[in-house]
Amino acid sequence: MIIERSSNWREDFIERFEQDGPWDSWTLYNMSYEIEKMNLIPEFSGLQAPKFLTNIQLLPHQVEAAQTVIEKMNGKAILADEVGLGKTIEAGLIMKEYMIRGIVKKVLILVPASLQNQWVTELNIRFFIPAIAYRKNTPIESYDVVVMSMDTAKKSPHREKIYEQDYDMIIIDEAHKLKNHKTQIYEFVQSLKKKFCLLLTATPIQNDIFEIFYLVSLLKPGHLGNYETFQASFAATKNSIDGERYLKELVNQVMVRNRRQDTGIEWTTRKVETIPIQYTPEEREVYDMISELKNVSSVFSSSFTMVTLLKEMCSSKEATFLTLNKMLQKSITKEEHDYIEEILAKLIKLEINSKAEKVIEIIEKANDKVIIFTEYRATQAYLQWYLYTKGITSVLFNGKFSKSKRDWVKQLFRQRDQVLIATESGGEGINLQFCHHVINYDLPWNPMKLEQRIGRVHRLGQEEDVHVYNLAIENTIEQKILDLLESKIDVFEKVVGELDDILTRKA
Amino acid sequence: MYAEQVHDYLKTFFKETDCEIVSDEGHMLSVQLTIDMDKRIMNRPFYWQYIEATNSPANPARLNLITDRTKIQNQFLGEIIHFGSGRLHQIFKSTKELGSFVRMYQHGNEGSKMLTPYFCVNYKVSYYCDQTKEVLYSLGINLINGEIEDNFHEFVTKLALKPTIPEKSFCLQYIIKPKRALERLDSMIQNIIQNDDHSWAEEAKKRWDKELEVLDYFYEGVEEKPESYEIEKKGLEERFNPRIKVEIINGGLFFLQ
Repeated sequence: MIIERSSNWREDFIERFEQDGPWDSWTLYNMSYEIEKMNLIPEFSGLQAPKFLTNIQLLPHQVEAAQTVIEKMNGKAILADEVGLGKTIEAGLIMKEYMIRGIVKKVLILVPASLQNQWVTELNIRFFIPAIAYRKNTPIESYDVVVMSMDTAKKSPHREKIYEQDYDMIIIDEAHKLKNHKTQIYEFVQSLKKKFCLLLTATPIQNDIFEIFYLVSLLKPGHLGNYETFQASFAATKNSIDGERYLKELVNQVMVRNRRQDTGIEWTTRKVETIPIQYTPEEREVYDMISELKNVSSVFSSSFTMVTLLKEMCSSKEATFLTLNKMLQKSITKEEHDYIEEILAKLIKLEINSKAEKVIEIIEKANDKVIIFTEYRATQAYLQWYLYTKGITSVLFNGKFSKSKRDWVKQLFRQRDQVLIATESGGEGINLQFCHHVINYDLPWNPMKLEQRIGRVHRLGQEEDVHVYNLAIENTIEQKILDLLESKIDVFEKVVGELDDILTRKA
Repeated sequence: MYAEQVHDYLKTFFKETDCEIVSDEGHMLSVQLTIDMDKRIMNRPFYWQYIEATNSPANPARLNLITDRTKIQNQFLGEIIHFGSGRLHQIFKSTKELGSFVRMYQHGNEGSKMLTPYFCVNYKVSYYCDQTKEVLYSLGINLINGEIEDNFHEFVTKLALKPTIPEKSFCLQYIIKPKRALERLDSMIQNIIQNDDHSWAEEAKKRWDKELEVLDYFYEGVEEKPESYEIEKKGLEERFNPRIKVEIINGGLFFLQ
């Protein structure tokens, strides 16, 4: 084995010896030795970092996760704790440990743009790691720890600049954004050298089993076999219980997943209710007319547009109107044109939104702060107006808000307004433990989005039980979405592990 | 290191390096840095370049260091310093630079004495793979008869040592030149390493082989392996390849009774 010898001590000593000095202070000499002794890493195992981290209260499950990743997974892992258990802290702890041990120096952290500043602050303040946020023209080679937005990193000239660096460790937050192997960001990360690597996501499977395959293959290609063998062994035998158990075991070799209930901390409960809603006859008529569109003309047969329209109709007439109006512009034959106009006329006349009425009922009953999540901006605006007419104050939020605007909105919600109305993209990066009621006004296709939404409220620091209301209109597409959500949750639980309640549990 | 230890450490450090301690309140230390110390711990090379290029009067910084923030009302009064903070780390580094080479004489016991020369080197040996372990060795060699002793530092710190030769004493002329002594200690440390238990390296090699096998499986049957295969392979090597590093912390000449 090669023995590296560092420092110029030998040459310098000979020089001082020959020139008879200058000699250093005996006190400093002793202090130096004592410091080395104190900072010595006496064992291969165990963590050294916690004693340096005086600015942070580490929880037992976080320390354990870091230790597992370092000692059992050799520094490459998916950190998949449930939302709100401190995946960032675990990643910081692992990074710090490797830095102290002198194994890692240069680190690249890829995050969604909205989380960039939060990461930089956490690392600097809590971990004393001098990280910087990468902006255009940042001289990347002069910094050891760089936090960069994924969208920037994957593009030229930034990606080339990254390839030129020799990073010891790559950390990717919200790694489920890499579930699709055909995307630019996936290819980018794939061709990046990953000596040590952490992928952070609470939701390693969102829709299907291949997502976990692609995620693990980024981290450790071959761990789940190659594409053909994986498909043959796991995807084809959909119902084989043995296959699933085996896959779960393999996945667990590269994944740490803490659930709220195994953290030893007392968690408040989640009370999830699915609330069925009846349409008024007028609403039902419009909904049925929209479902008939595809029979009127082949132009409307694109299932994507249809699904969008039906979902919008379950949300609000405002959301529906925009899409229908666009279709009107595009319609060619008179027949198409007339049919859409007829729908529009009926739509405009609708006076009652049954779902919105239900919302009022829930808010009044809760008599407390409430968050409403919707998928549509038009619905968001409508709801604010509607709540206002009922004397309920609200504030709007969406993911495009800057950091300062986010903080401002959070402040308003905390101190002034009873309701926060957020769009889907507002799901990440805002924490609202002072609120205990979440209304899912529209249901997304992906159960993990629901989990992310609930996680804004049901996380460390929440002191009361959290109520979740999933609204679904009977005999509409929302019923189908509910069924699909259930089957996706089932796949997740079989391969990754149990989930906290997202939907009402079946008896 | 607790707050009090940090405080005492800083106080001693600045006293030893001739930085004036302007005030000391037990949990807060106000220090006037010397020019040399400013250059070492303040991270402002451009400032000093400018001062020196323009021949301007130098204005080394005065630091207000808060060692115990629980005792302080207004934390904007100074810089909070604690174990793990960057500043303290830098001061540790300076300690190392300023405490590298010593020449000490043993005092005590009246009367004339004959002092025997010793040469000591404090080594830090690090074993690296995807994990690390470090061991300190303090080796001292008698420059008259060539005997080598371990734990030399622990031994000398118990003696009364001063940088000047005591009265009525004289030092024996060394037979082994310090340069030659250094070589002997170096080969001694090599010996110690060679005889150490290296199952850690074998284990690392096993982990490496196992991960390599998994990687090869992924690309099995692929005729022309893509670049990412080579990149992954290189990543594995850098992660698991066992390495040993020998670093010298400090050392010096000791004249002992």
